[in-house]
Amino acid sequence: MSQEIAVVGSPEFTTGFRLAGVRRFENVPDDEKDADLDDAVTTVLEDDEVGIVVMHDEDLEYLSRNVQQNVETSVEPVVVTIGSGTGGGGLRDQIKRAIGIDLMDEDEDQ
Amino acid sequence: MAKDVKPTRKNLMEIEDRIELSERGHGTLEKKRDGLIMEFMDILDKAQDVRGDLADDYQAAQKKINMARAMEGDVAVRGAAAALQEHPEITTESKNIMGVVVPQIESSRVSKSLDQRGYGIMGTSARIDEAAEAYEDLLESIILAAEVETAMKKMLREIETTKRRVNALEFKLLPDLYDSQEYIEQKLEEQEREETFRLKKIKEKKEQAEKEEREAEAEAEAEAEDEVAPDDEGGDTAEPDMEQSTAGGVPGGD
Repeated sequence: MSQEIAVVGSPEFTTGFRLAGVRRFENVPDDEKDADLDDAVTTVLEDDEVGIVVMHDEDLEYLSRNVQQNVETSVEPVVVTIGSGTGGGGLRDQIKRAIGIDLMDEDEDQ
Repeated sequence: MAKDVKPTRKNLMEIEDRIELSERGHGTLEKKRDGLIMEFMDILDKAQDVRGDLADDYQAAQKKINMARAMEGDVAVRGAAAALQEHPEITTESKNIMGVVVPQIESSRVSKSLDQRGYGIMGTSARIDEAAEAYEDLLESIILAAEVETAMKKMLREIETTKRRVNALEFKLLPDLYDSQEYIEQKLEEQEREETFRLKKIKEKKEQAEKEEREAEAEAEAEAEDEVAPDDEGGDTAEPDMEQSTAGGVPGGD
């Protein structure tokens, strides 16, 4: 089954991806993120047509606890966050919990 | 738990069977966990490379689009973005790593040539083309990252479940079963000891009874003999008397 890539974020963030051909996008202006980002992300996550969701790292902070957890654990669709940090904040915790060692931290030290 | 089981031989055999099965399962699950962790390590290395590329691509793409915005204006960039006809699509196939189904994402129509983009060549500048190209590269990296991260998430979930199962077997189920086994064995041994003791007691009693019977018999015999004895004694004594009397009589007579 062919799926699409979706982008959620501010109009500045989504424009670039639209330039690359992404047509499924949710524009949420910065000053409305507190109120609307949760709904936008939930809509995209529940869409069967979407296979990958792209978000900015910093936008995760605007999400409510439940949605944030969904974003971190969702596999279908998978959420890829890009931005300033190394990403995978939730993944790091998951690794710590599952394996018992902070593997990402170890690799950063090396 | 140990006290809940009935100390019967049948239960003991059942528990021994369960212990054997659990030990075998525990060994297998431990191997699976170790195998999964080793596979995970490989994927983690890959994921970190992909993450690094992703960050670089994002930075490059942002630089390009900012430049395009600055030079051409926001409206031109948005206009070009809205004009795109070709849309990237992804198809997922699955791959099995030690029982974990991980996706393999194939993408199509991500990288496009200038004429495929659809916003026209004349109306836009090269900066927009560069930005579009940079974002196409970024999308490729994102698709790769999505594949690797999904695999990681799924494997982590599987590792966690396997670890829980191993721990539950090792620290809960097996100790409980061993306790039950020991409890039943001790109970059965005690029952055996009681049985031996009981048999000994019965034997003793029986022997005692036999002894008493024998004694009683002997006594009865003795008594019977006693009863017979006075006649015998009279006969015996009568003779010497007679002998005596005769003896006495004879010397006297002589």
